[in-house]
Amino acid sequence: MKSIAFIDGGTYYHHATYHDPELARYFAASIYAPELNDTDLAPFDCLYVASRQEAEFLVRAKRSFDAFLAAGKTVVVMSDTCAEDWVPGVRWQPAPVNFWWWLTPGADSGLRLAAPDHPLVQAVGLEAFTWHQHGYLLPPAGAVSLVDLASGGSVFYEDRVSTPGRLLVSTLDPCYHHGSYFMPATTRFLRGFLPWLAADDAG
Amino acid sequence: MSAILYVRPVGHEFPSFLALPEAEGMRSCSVHELKAADFEQADAIIVPSHVDQRALAAHAEALEVFLDRGGSLVFNGHLVYPVLRGLECFVPARGGRVEDLLVERVAEHPVFEGVELQDLSFRRGVAGFYGRGANPPPPGAQVLHRLKGDGSPVDWYWERPAGGRVLMHGGNPLWMYVDDPSSAARIAPQLLRWLKAGFQPGV
Repeated sequence: MKSIAFIDGGTYYHHATYHDPELARYFAASIYAPELNDTDLAPFDCLYVASRQEAEFLVRAKRSFDAFLAAGKTVVVMSDTCAEDWVPGVRWQPAPVNFWWWLTPGADSGLRLAAPDHPLVQAVGLEAFTWHQHGYLLPPAGAVSLVDLASGGSVFYEDRVSTPGRLLVSTLDPCYHHGSYFMPATTRFLRGFLPWLAADDAG
Repeated sequence: MSAILYVRPVGHEFPSFLALPEAEGMRSCSVHELKAADFEQADAIIVPSHVDQRALAAHAEALEVFLDRGGSLVFNGHLVYPVLRGLECFVPARGGRVEDLLVERVAEHPVFEGVELQDLSFRRGVAGFYGRGANPPPPGAQVLHRLKGDGSPVDWYWERPAGGRVLMHGGNPLWMYVDDPSSAARIAPQLLRWLKAGFQPGV
């Protein structure tokens, strides 16, 4: 199993996600974001940067992230982390959050599978990616979008070209909702995504 | 007039709340920049749900001294770190059906004057925004609102024997409803007016 470190911003929902008995088994450690530069990242294969973090601490640790990726390892970057300031290749387009789309019977979430054969998509399914979107991403050339917006842009992509490692970048914010006991799709997403991420054959 | 300190969280702020006429004069400081003097100069401290509780808990002693000398603390969110001695951590509610999540009033309080329970229980017909559990009240606290399903005491008011008072809301920030076209919009200005009126124990 891959050794995944959970990057924790100190909020209640980060705490709840990391300590969730169903998810805790996939995390080898929790690293408090302000302490990133004091932490040896070498033991880990993957850093999971949970949604909604203070950008300052991530930007300050940019060198550590760059070195981690240079070693061929994986960094997961979720929503509201000001990723464009510290993650190579990220172009984030803000847009109003579509909180209420699902109240309209038969409404279209606007999400489209862009890589239906990708093993993560196979493991999770489009439904588990589906709640609302905090803007969208413009993936760099050579990156693979897993889920697109019908109106353009990606909400989740895999980038193996911008660094020697692998970046999984998303506009989704599962930790907040899962850790608030609020939105079942976010729980389904984490229960699908984390086992896939931790599996030895996940690349 | 009381000096109010708003502890700035990891984002997800509500500009309409900070722009209320009642918020005039309210100081704002990032949780990561709090100094001893901030606690010494404030009469009231407002903590939003998205705060880095780990960083706040580093000031637990200053917060206790602040309360001992008669300060007012309004805390929002799920308590998961030892922010204040004597308080226990968040307990999720049992049951997530709509009827479980209805909000019931146990006692009146000026912050909730004229606020209809229907407007706390539902937003656009969706239940569950107000609370999904509770931070357990200490002995002597007055429960204000509870969830219908399991009686989770989502809001309570406590005049501490050692001094000061705590208004606790175990959910998204109380001012989340500030722009709602409902009676729940009354909460935010009433909260600020209540704090500005100052604290006389037993009143």
